[in-house]
Amino acid sequence: MIVCGAGHAGVEAALAAARMGASTLLLTGNIDTIAQMSCNPAIGGQAKGQMVREIDALGGEMAINTDVTGIQFRLLNESKGPAVQSPRAQCDKKAYQFRLKHTLELQANLQIFQATVTRLIYQSGRVIGCQTNLDIDFHGKTVVVTTGTFLRGLMHIGQNKNEGGRLGDFSARTLSASFLEAGIELQRLKTGTPPRLLGRSLDFSRMDEQKGDVAPTLFAFHDTRSKDDLFHVEQSSERRIGWVPGENQVSCWVTYTTPQTAEIVRANLHKSAMYSGEIEGIGPRYCPSIEDKFVRFADKPRHMLFLEPEGRSTNEYYVNGLSTSLPFDVQLEMVHSIPGLEQAVLLRPAYAVEYDFAPPTQLFPSLESKKVENLFFAGQINGSSGYEEAASQGLVAGVNAVNKARGVAPLIIQRHEGYIGVLIDDLVTKGTREPYRMFTSRAEHRLLFNHGSAELRLLAHAKNHNLLDNNRLKLIETKKERVEHWVKWLEQSSTIGGTWATAIRRVTGQEGVGSLALPNEFLREPSTVRDEVMYRVRYAGYLDREHRHIVKLSEVEKIKIPPNLDFLSIRGLRRESALKLAEFKPYTLGQASRISGVNPSDISVLMIMIEAGRGGTGQKV
Amino acid sequence: MPRPTDTIAALATPAGTAALAVIRVSGPDTPQLARDLFGNAPPPRVMRHADYRECDGALLDDVLVTFFAGPHSYSGEDSLEISGHGNPFIAQKILEDLYARGCRPAEPGEFTQRAFLNGRMDLSQAEAVMDLIHARSERALAAANQQLRGALGRRMTVLVDTLLGVLARVEAYIDFPEEDLPAEDRESVAQTLQRLAVETDRLLATSHYGELLRDGIKTVIIGAPNAGKSSLLNRLVGHERAIVSAEPGTTRDFIEERLIVGAHALRLIDTAGLNPAPATLEKLGIEKTFERIAEADLLLLVLDATQPAPPLSPPLLARIGNKTTLVVLNKTDLLSGSSPTKTPAGLKVVRVSALTGAGWEDLTAAITEQADAFQPEIGDELVAINARHAQALARAREGLGSARNKVTANEPVELLASDLRGVLEAFGEISGKIDNERMLDQLFATFCIGK
Ligand SMILES: Nc1nc2c(ncn2[C@@H]2O[C@H](COP(=O)(O)OP(=O)(O)OP(=O)(O)O)[C@@H](O)[C@H]2O)c(=O)[nH]1
Ligand SMILES: [Mg+2]
Repeated sequence: MIVCGAGHAGVEAALAAARMGASTLLLTGNIDTIAQMSCNPAIGGQAKGQMVREIDALGGEMAINTDVTGIQFRLLNESKGPAVQSPRAQCDKKAYQFRLKHTLELQANLQIFQATVTRLIYQSGRVIGCQTNLDIDFHGKTVVVTTGTFLRGLMHIGQNKNEGGRLGDFSARTLSASFLEAGIELQRLKTGTPPRLLGRSLDFSRMDEQKGDVAPTLFAFHDTRSKDDLFHVEQSSERRIGWVPGENQVSCWVTYTTPQTAEIVRANLHKSAMYSGEIEGIGPRYCPSIEDKFVRFADKPRHMLFLEPEGRSTNEYYVNGLSTSLPFDVQLEMVHSIPGLEQAVLLRPAYAVEYDFAPPTQLFPSLESKKVENLFFAGQINGSSGYEEAASQGLVAGVNAVNKARGVAPLIIQRHEGYIGVLIDDLVTKGTREPYRMFTSRAEHRLLFNHGSAELRLLAHAKNHNLLDNNRLKLIETKKERVEHWVKWLEQSSTIGGTWATAIRRVTGQEGVGSLALPNEFLREPSTVRDEVMYRVRYAGYLDREHRHIVKLSEVEKIKIPPNLDFLSIRGLRRESALKLAEFKPYTLGQASRISGVNPSDISVLMIMIEAGRGGTGQKV
Repeated sequence: MPRPTDTIAALATPAGTAALAVIRVSGPDTPQLARDLFGNAPPPRVMRHADYRECDGALLDDVLVTFFAGPHSYSGEDSLEISGHGNPFIAQKILEDLYARGCRPAEPGEFTQRAFLNGRMDLSQAEAVMDLIHARSERALAAANQQLRGALGRRMTVLVDTLLGVLARVEAYIDFPEEDLPAEDRESVAQTLQRLAVETDRLLATSHYGELLRDGIKTVIIGAPNAGKSSLLNRLVGHERAIVSAEPGTTRDFIEERLIVGAHALRLIDTAGLNPAPATLEKLGIEKTFERIAEADLLLLVLDATQPAPPLSPPLLARIGNKTTLVVLNKTDLLSGSSPTKTPAGLKVVRVSALTGAGWEDLTAAITEQADAFQPEIGDELVAINARHAQALARAREGLGSARNKVTANEPVELLASDLRGVLEAFGEISGKIDNERMLDQLFATFCIGK
């Protein structure tokens, strides 16, 4: 199979495919920018941190790569409950990239090659390969496209415009035409990135320091808690990149805009690419430019900015919160109005980038195109934003591209199994108007998604699709047994005044649990087991409620809609619903029920139709 | 095909007044439900007489019950048919009771769907039924939408928007812990939740009023034999509906008529006279009258103005209890001086003559006044919710209470959010599904997010 693009989606797709034993080719326009962090040098954070752990649970590379190239680790929401705690790490941008590049180079069944894909080659409704700028054609059974923001990428700095998907990089111009030719619709989105500054020109004494956690929460599940084990996994004889996770952490710095900054921005609003109507793409609500912030929240006196180091061996700093498309001279003036940045030297200006994306409702939940067989899409081309969102889709697309070639049922993660399931279902069912970023609030079963449970939640998928080696599967299975054993034990065994479980639920806080004198045998379990057990016991009522809800929903989720079902010819279906269904081609009745405008009686009619066809086509997922 | 896990209930006969109201229950919990309701398990396919009692033991109706063991039933599942007296009010009450016992209101066509899935119907039969049901559900939907565009819709919009505002305020602190957000204000969250609870209660209170609007205010005429109850009914409805005679004990069976008084629909029921010293046979009739009194919204107690008031028997007094009661002092045309009748204290009295029509304006004014009082205080708009709405609102109400407790007890914010989402879902059952995007819209409009 062929993967076009080696960003965060592409590398996971290629690694997953190669690890499943498929002969894989990874094409990239520039081998030196593999897995580049185009925006801020950080992985994880709210919901995203949980996703990285899910990627790890499915055999992906992002987690371990972050652990060994991370330079600062923090657990967000530590004061809140486990379900909404998320690990986050600042990474050494270059180390992150180089280690991933090295991993790809060492991976069996995988070849990397530097060439820009110019066209896809189609044959009777299928993709069979691609052409490149070097006039070398490649052929494969399946193709995964992960071209990020490079499709007709156009960068704006004030009135200045440059073609490219990222500053200093190229733009994939002809590929868009190749999609249109196959009937794949494209639309425009916009995103932005702030300026980068030279560290030695900054006065950190005027800023607040933000340090990493003393005991870092890491992303990879296994062998990351003990240094010895880590190096066992890392096969230190072969790897030279990275360091012991959590060692020698560096700080981030916090400063704020001033009234002067606001004045500068307001006075120059008309020069901003976004405010002068230069940009047609839609930008994200959650990541507004500084122009937007001052206009939409005019009464907010100041805006917080984070200075994030880009690595150990560079003096470059990323200014989180100062994304803009104002011209360079205004950017400079604006930066200098901020405490600590008065003398700042700009290494790279901020810019906005517009790019083509293919509305993801044109995909099946396997991430295969509905229009072109054997063609898979993952990452920003699907309208998502974020490294973690891209990597998640890349992994799933890679696995499914192999499954497709082998005639095996696709990997489809349900909404109640993890954020990856929510992400893909939202994208393919509802589409998106802005670059889609994951929030915990998007998951209706958020309480089940504590980051520590990712490998238990996804174990069945990892097993079914052979994504983990046997050693690791055994470790997870043992953990699962231990967790289940202890939950049962605590619920059933008595102590003074009731069962252990009720005693645990009665006391509040971590300290309270300490006073319970839990059996030594339990206390000897590893903390990963104990944490999960305590979570399940303490929140049992809520988790039960979630599970009951899921059972109810899963009935329709299990009913697969035959792919060739002609919605328009179904009697009793309202015309409006039939058109919607024909457009979205839902995969299961559950998916159909989430399409806006389809009502319960339409679902009843569909259910009857499918059941009637059961003799032939209907089947359970 | 997965087997349905829940038990559904709905009216199987068209809504409105028919001779018979058949309620159908279907699903795995049916046998247990039958045992709870009617004692030991009923033998299948045998129609039986039984008392239908509410959860709290109150008698609702005497009904005919038939139990069907799956697969030999309409739906192919264990099911129960309960036939009541075609009184929409009672049918509604029975349904509400079934929901309280854990049944879910059936979606349009759901019995048919189950029948089909269980192999009780072939496709063409099922399609025909679904066509019909679909047409009907479209109409129901249109009707519901009409209501949603009206007063109820406006109320729901306010409720949903307010809730989304609270949820956005809660979610912001979960999803954006790194942002420079204003300090969390749990106090104002608690206050808003309280306001939402009050407003939800108000809407819930219109549930009964909705029935009054649809079915009429149940007005029961009671009094001693020969007091002129039937005469009163006849004059109110404007024709000789009930037999009137100088013989006490003329009326034996209940007589029911509908009429409009002012802006209100009334269901007027004439009863047999309440003899303070009844013979054995009369006792049975009195029991029946007591049952009618129990269901009544409004009582008209007729007294003969020429007689000293007969003492009201203690059981009658107990039953009148807190019912809205109007005393009608009849036969005032026969009076020359003042009436020897001692009317019960604390009740409004109107003096009339059913024979001449004297005092009739006072009577209709008094009835209108009482009927107005049934209208719940919900501003000047007319809102009336149905049983399905009431079920959803009751769930919302529960969630709001639990959410507020979490705020005061300072419990983890994601649990609070979990309760609020439950409330949102319940509201969504009335106002249409509420997408998370709407919460995010509010969130990004309220807070400046984006480092
Ligand atoms: N003069 C006079 N006679 C009345 C009036 N109302 C009723 N009557 C007479 O009183 C007698 C009893 O009237 P009904 O209306 O049958 O009384 P009831 O309360 O229905 O009696 P039962 O059904 O037997 O309990 C009849 O002879 C009526 O004509 C009235 O306002 N004035
Ligand atoms: Mg009478």
